[in-house]
Amino acid sequence: MRRAVSWLLAAFALPAQALAHTTVQGMNDFMTGALHPLLTPAHVLILLALGLCLGQHPPLRLRMPLSVFASCSAIGLALTATRWFPGVHPAALAGIALGAGALAACEKELPSSARGALFGVGALAIGSDSGVETGGAAVIVKTLLGTWLGLLIYLMNLAYYASLAAEQKKKWLRIGLRVAGSWIVAISLLVLAFALHKV
Amino acid sequence: MKTKLRLLAVTLVLALPATASAHSETGTIGGFVSGFLHPLTGLDHIVAMVAVGLWGAYLGAPAMWLLPVVFPVVMAFGGALGVLGVPLPEVEKCIALSGIMLGLAVALAARPPLWIAAVMVGFFAIFHGHAHGTELPAAANAITYAAGFVIATGLLHLSGISVGLLVRWPWGRVVVRTAGVAIAVVGFGFLFGMFKA
Repeated sequence: MRRAVSWLLAAFALPAQALAHTTVQGMNDFMTGALHPLLTPAHVLILLALGLCLGQHPPLRLRMPLSVFASCSAIGLALTATRWFPGVHPAALAGIALGAGALAACEKELPSSARGALFGVGALAIGSDSGVETGGAAVIVKTLLGTWLGLLIYLMNLAYYASLAAEQKKKWLRIGLRVAGSWIVAISLLVLAFALHKV
Repeated sequence: MKTKLRLLAVTLVLALPATASAHSETGTIGGFVSGFLHPLTGLDHIVAMVAVGLWGAYLGAPAMWLLPVVFPVVMAFGGALGVLGVPLPEVEKCIALSGIMLGLAVALAARPPLWIAAVMVGFFAIFHGHAHGTELPAAANAITYAAGFVIATGLLHLSGISVGLLVRWPWGRVVVRTAGVAIAVVGFGFLFGMFKA
């Protein structure tokens, strides 16, 4: 366990190319922030995997995982505002998506504490990888607030639609969720290899 | 007169300066397109992936969905080996062999235990993935390339499953088994150099 934690911390601390917000012309700071998770494929992958994990075991219970996700993503986003955090290495992001995708592919339900840890790590990774490079304090606050709300809305939506599919009596819908999980695993494995190859 | 005008119009269109439609493998969209097209540009890969879907449908549930789940994951593992530069022996021959074996399995309507089918599919998937991994364009966006690559592979399985579902009808079985024979023939073609990968 200690070794796993130290590997995780090391992966977080690796210097990485910042996937920071870029200014989208004609769009205000809040909306730029809100759209940021959707425009960052690594974040989309983690959100998809976490949403599948959350919605795959109906009835949908959002309180604990969502509160952990909200607080950890807020911490991560706040870390970026301090400007000393180096960003998250793509291998760490791929590793998180891989773990969550594998759980979805196996349709495995984690105990509450492990589930909380997974959502916490995922949220912290996405949050601390969503820094704003330019602009004053007001711009940064608005953009990060948009990102934070966007993350919560996307995760809730994904979990809701996954739970809708999982509740259906048609077995192929549940299988579809597992296939989606296996595709996330496959994509993450390749991304992990690319990232490690570049290290 | 009309013919002359048409001829002039065609000549003018042909003479228009156009931007080059060259391959773009950079950026998010370029990476996705490049990854998506990669499994679709090799006949040896296409037939093997379709064969997995066909065989899965022939074996029925749970093989129908388990094999297409196993294949992309193990193929990605093989792809990772290729990206990391881990060598595998006789990759092209094993890919050709996969077409033969999987095609024959469909043609003969083989029904081995599920774990044997999964191991066989997984074994060949490593070689398919390795070939794709070593051919990765250096400039491609890693994550969108991987997404396009996995989605295209999944869709090939799905097309195999769709055709494989014809086994419900007697004439459908003939169609599916004939497709298996055709796949095995293509595999032989690649193995003996009649087709080029």
